[in-house]
Amino acid sequence: MKEGFRQAMAWLHTWVGLIFGWLLFAIFLTGTLAYFKDEITHWMQPEVQAHPLDDARSLAVAQAYLQQHAPDAARWFITLPNSRDPGLSVMWQDKLDPGKRGNFVQKVVDPVSGEAVLARDSKGGEFFYRFHFQLQMPHPWGRWLSTLAAMVMFVALITGIVTHKKIFKDFFTFRPRKGQRSWLDGHNAVGVLVLPFHLMITYSSLVIFMSMVMPAPIMASYGADTRAFFSEMFPATDNAPALGQPAPLQSLVPMYTQARAQWAGGQVGRLAVNNPGDVNASVNIFRAGSDRVAQDFGSMVSFNGATGELLRVGGGQSLPALIGGTFYGLHMGHFATPVLRWLYFICGLAGTAMIGTGLVMWLGKRQLKHARTGVMPYELRLVETLNIASMSGLLIAIGAFFWANRLLPASFAERSDWEVQAFFIAWGLSLLHAALRRGRWGWIEQLSCAALLLGAVPLLNAITTEQHLGVSLARGDWAMAGFDLTCLGSGVFLAWAAWKMRCRMAPQPTAERALGLNLTREAR
Amino acid sequence: MLLALLLCYAGFTALCLSTDRHHGELLRSKPSPQRRLGWRASGWLLLLGSIWPAVAVAGWSQGLVEWCAVLMLSALLLVLLLPYLPRLALSLAGAGLLASPVAAFVTL
Repeated sequence: MKEGFRQAMAWLHTWVGLIFGWLLFAIFLTGTLAYFKDEITHWMQPEVQAHPLDDARSLAVAQAYLQQHAPDAARWFITLPNSRDPGLSVMWQDKLDPGKRGNFVQKVVDPVSGEAVLARDSKGGEFFYRFHFQLQMPHPWGRWLSTLAAMVMFVALITGIVTHKKIFKDFFTFRPRKGQRSWLDGHNAVGVLVLPFHLMITYSSLVIFMSMVMPAPIMASYGADTRAFFSEMFPATDNAPALGQPAPLQSLVPMYTQARAQWAGGQVGRLAVNNPGDVNASVNIFRAGSDRVAQDFGSMVSFNGATGELLRVGGGQSLPALIGGTFYGLHMGHFATPVLRWLYFICGLAGTAMIGTGLVMWLGKRQLKHARTGVMPYELRLVETLNIASMSGLLIAIGAFFWANRLLPASFAERSDWEVQAFFIAWGLSLLHAALRRGRWGWIEQLSCAALLLGAVPLLNAITTEQHLGVSLARGDWAMAGFDLTCLGSGVFLAWAAWKMRCRMAPQPTAERALGLNLTREAR
Repeated sequence: MLLALLLCYAGFTALCLSTDRHHGELLRSKPSPQRRLGWRASGWLLLLGSIWPAVAVAGWSQGLVEWCAVLMLSALLLVLLLPYLPRLALSLAGAGLLASPVAAFVTL
């Protein structure tokens, strides 16, 4: 009976892992990149200069800019620069006609000169972040699919613990250069050593979308009026309407100071001004997510914009909201310091590697059976093609995305959309290539191509902008320099993996062992 | 975070030495039952003890997250080093323990 249970779990682990593995690989890798979303955006918009941080100056500049360019807007949003994202971002929404949503306009303003920065149109790191849960699909299908993938991941993790019963006994075991055994060791090692992260990231992704996935508790408590739930969860949506009597808006700086005093010196993340220039203007100041582990959407201070009077102080979570906010915060990692952010990144890569090794193992086991005849059945060919395209092809697509950012002219129409197109075109081409090129050669060529694209990123940056490594390092702009160096490092690593595969290929063309260790880390 | 990392790494190395196979690989001998118990106890003590410096520096919520991250990283590092550079893996743990008073002095 017990053995039967374990076999059933192994079957589930194998097949669920295969069917969703390709999608999960992409979700994990892009999600891992999203930990450096702001840094990637900074690299992709090099026109935005980094200045020493001065919130009061930035805020005064933003207010003056908005007063001049959008005095009649329905709403203003101001996001202050921080050490990761040097841009002072202002956004406004045009006056609402009843029943229609006004357009949003977003600008990046230089916090010193007060002029709008003519930055190239780019989605930046936001693309990876959005892709990892929306999958470039129309709302809400991408969210549903990625949530389904998260549930499957959770099932795969738990069945994996049951299946590989020896993982805790063989905790420290990794035997390289032993073919299939090394793959299994690697899969188990990155799985079990980083298990707390895997469980946290998978479970928290379900918590983040809980109102979508499991709306029953909300419906039971609030009935059909789900808006009531959201305005209780996110109190900032509950603002006084405009009265239509003009009144000048007070300076935002004293409100900023007062808000920070309320949080014992906590940082301000974002400001929203509703109906600026009206007697009933309201200013909501939100606390930065980087302050605490647990995210608290209600942590804000609200003022009357015309008088400067403090209206209410939000925050103070109930226990369930605190637990939910903790999972949200842990998943996003907004609070992480640079070192911890890198650890998050490494854990994410380990998760990606776990999925990648699993996929390679599925195929390797079955290929062995057909090694003698030399004829591979159609379905194994299909899996091999999808393996190559989903792993090394994704790396090429990421490289192409960065190259498109530097090579498309700034005046190009719908520029940011074309960057995304470049990503998908490169991915599609790699699928085509994987279908045409057999086996090992597909891997070697695609890995070399990805190595070239990523490894040459610092060179590309040096040729197309003024911010090459010498400049960014000298100025201490670590986001810019770190991006270049990480790309260079990944390029070198991928080149090593491709070279290693090629070396192993010559003496034993059919033996699976040649795959050995290379791909374990290739997944990065 | 540095002190927690050093303690975690040493703790995992001790736990690793408490198994027959790895003790044989690293120290070329089979541990006696008392030895094995000693390694195991000191390993768990080091792992549990490493919570304290992490929490003392960064507070409970942030500190525990950092501790978990460091715990996973140190185990990953040890397991990757063991098959390739076993001597280095072992001496890193020793050097880490020796350096931990300095790290404690600097960070705490």
